[in-house]
Amino acid sequence: MTTITSPAAGAVPRVAEALPPRPGPFARYLRETALLVGRGLRAIPRVPERLSDVTIQPVMFTLLFLYVFGSAIHVHGTYQDYLLPGLLGQSVAFGAIGAGVATSTDFSSGVVDRFRSLPVVRMSVISAQVIGQIIEQILGIVIVAAIGLGLGWRPHLGGGRAAELVALMLLGLLAFTWVGVLAGMLIRSSDAVQGIGFAVMLPLSFLAGTFVPIAGMKLVPRAIAEWDPLSALVAAVRQVCQGTPSGGSLQLDHPVAAMIAWCALILAVCVPLALRRFRTASV
Amino acid sequence: MTPPELTVITDGLTKRFGDLVAVDHIDLRVEAGTVTSLLGPNGAGKTTMVRMLATLSAPTSGTAIVCGHDVVREADAVRSAISMTGQFAALEDNLTARENLLLMARLRGYGRGAAGRLVESLIDRFDIGEFRDKLIKAVSGGQRRRVDLAASLVVQPQLLVLDEPTSGLDPRSRQVVWSTVRDLVDEGVTLLLTTQYLEEADALADDIVLIDHGRAVAAGTPSDLKARIGDQRVDVVAVDSRGLDGLVGALSGRFDLTIARERRRVSVPAPDELDDLASVAAAVRASGIPIDEIALRRPTLDDAFLALTGQPPATDTLSDDSLVEVAS
Repeated sequence: MTTITSPAAGAVPRVAEALPPRPGPFARYLRETALLVGRGLRAIPRVPERLSDVTIQPVMFTLLFLYVFGSAIHVHGTYQDYLLPGLLGQSVAFGAIGAGVATSTDFSSGVVDRFRSLPVVRMSVISAQVIGQIIEQILGIVIVAAIGLGLGWRPHLGGGRAAELVALMLLGLLAFTWVGVLAGMLIRSSDAVQGIGFAVMLPLSFLAGTFVPIAGMKLVPRAIAEWDPLSALVAAVRQVCQGTPSGGSLQLDHPVAAMIAWCALILAVCVPLALRRFRTASV
Repeated sequence: MTPPELTVITDGLTKRFGDLVAVDHIDLRVEAGTVTSLLGPNGAGKTTMVRMLATLSAPTSGTAIVCGHDVVREADAVRSAISMTGQFAALEDNLTARENLLLMARLRGYGRGAAGRLVESLIDRFDIGEFRDKLIKAVSGGQRRRVDLAASLVVQPQLLVLDEPTSGLDPRSRQVVWSTVRDLVDEGVTLLLTTQYLEEADALADDIVLIDHGRAVAAGTPSDLKARIGDQRVDVVAVDSRGLDGLVGALSGRFDLTIARERRRVSVPAPDELDDLASVAAAVRASGIPIDEIALRRPTLDDAFLALTGQPPATDTLSDDSLVEVAS
C-alpha cells in the first residue's frame, strides 16, 4: 500500500440486490409519496430557521397587536378573541410563501430533476411537496394557537365547531400551498419568491380584517378588503371560532361558503397549471 | 426494432425554446459498452440534448430511442434503464450522505433491508465512510460529487448520463471521477457524458461528438478527429507580445500560421515533422528574435475544434489553446 489513499471506486466489488417486483402505480404512488414526505420532515429540525417564518413572525404579530396597537383598536368582545382567528387565517395564507420558497429551491437545485429522472410516479414528487409543506405550516399554527390560548384567547369550539375549524384550515392550507407550489415552479429564485410573496400577501392580509375591522377602513381599501380572498378566510375562521359574523359584503355575510368557494377556485386554477408545469418543466 | 448494440439512437432530434434552437437535428448513435462524449462550449446545447435523452425535457421534433425505448412514449421504461447525474450535484442538502443514498435506493423500489445493504456497499465503493453521517451541505464539492455519482449507481444502469461531471471540481476530485468512469466502463456500463473540457473527452471517450450552436459539427474517435486536422505542428512561444508580433512578421510569408495571442504562441503545420521543425527554427534564428520555446507537438482537440467549426471553443475550457485566432 502506498501512503496516498485514492478514493477511486472499483476496489470493492459491487453488491447486487434483486429489485423486488414492481407494485401497481397506486401502491407505488403511496410508497414514494411517503418516502419523499419523510425526506422533507427529516430536514425540519436541521434547518430550524425555516420554521421561523411560521413561528416567530406570527408570534411577533400576536405580541405587537395584543400589547402595542390593541388598545387603540375597538372590537366587540376582547381583542384576543378578535385577533387570534385573524392570525390563524393569516398563517394559512402565508403557507403559500413557505411552499413557494421550498419548491423553487428544489427546482433550481436539480433535486426535482433527479427525482423526475427516476422511475417514480411523477405525481408523488409533487404530492410530497404539498403534504410536507402543510405539515410544516400546521406546526406553526399549533404554536400560534397555543400562545394565543396562553394570552387569554377563548375560542368557542363546542358542538363540532373544532372539527369544522380543522377542516376549514386544512382546506385553506391545501389551496394556498398549491398557490405557492405553482409560484415556486414559475419563479426559479427562492429569494424572489420570498420577496414577491411578502409583497403580495402582507398588504392583502392587513386589508383582510386580520387586525382591524374592515368597517372602519376608507373607501378604496375597504372595497379591496370586501373582496379579498384572505378576508373570506379570516372571517370564516373567526365565525367558526367565536361565532362572530363579519358582514359588509356578500362574501363576508357568508364567510364559510365564500372561503370554500375561493379555495375551490384556487385549486381548480393552480393544480392543473402546476401539474402541467411539472411535466414540461425544463431549464 | 433497435439493434441491441446501439444504446442511444436519435434521428433529427430538435429542441426549440421560442426562437432559440437549442438542439438542431442531431443524429446520435451510442454503441453499447462505449463512452461517448458530447463536447462543446457553454450554451452549445449539450445539456438540453442529454435532458431529452433522460426524459426530462420533451423534444420539439425528431425521435430518440434510449435502451430500446422511445423517450416520449415509453418514458418510464427509459427511466428504469438509465441513470442521470446532472450538472449540479442534485442531493438534499439537509440529509446526510447516507440518508441521501438510502432515499435513492428506496425510490428505485428496494425494501429497507436491501436498500441498507446496497448503500453500505456504495459507501465502501466510493469511499464515503468518513463523511457518511455528515449533512450534504457540510461536505466539500468533491465529496458531494462522489455521493452524487454513488446515487446514480444504486442500480447498475444500462446507460449512465453524466452532465459535465467534473465542472467546478479540483484536479484531484476530477481524477476520482475519471477513474470511476473507467471502472464503470470495465463493468460494461454505457456512458454518455458532456464536457467542455477537451482534455476530458480525449481522456475518457471512445467517440466524440463536437456540438456547436445546437448542431453536431463533427464526430469520430479522438484519433479520427485529430487525423482530420492532420499533421503535427511546430509551436513557437515568444518572450513577450512585441516578440510575438516580430515572429508573425518574420514567419507569415513562408508558413501557414495560427496565432494564440494570449499564450504568445504561433503554430505551424508540420507534415514533414523534423524537416519542418528545422526550417521554422532556421527562420526564427535568422530573424534574431528571442523566443521562450520551440517544439514539435501532436495536434490537440482544440486544433480539431478550430479546424472543424472555424471557431475556437469557449474561452473557459481547461485547455491551453483558448483564445486562438487564425492568421489571415
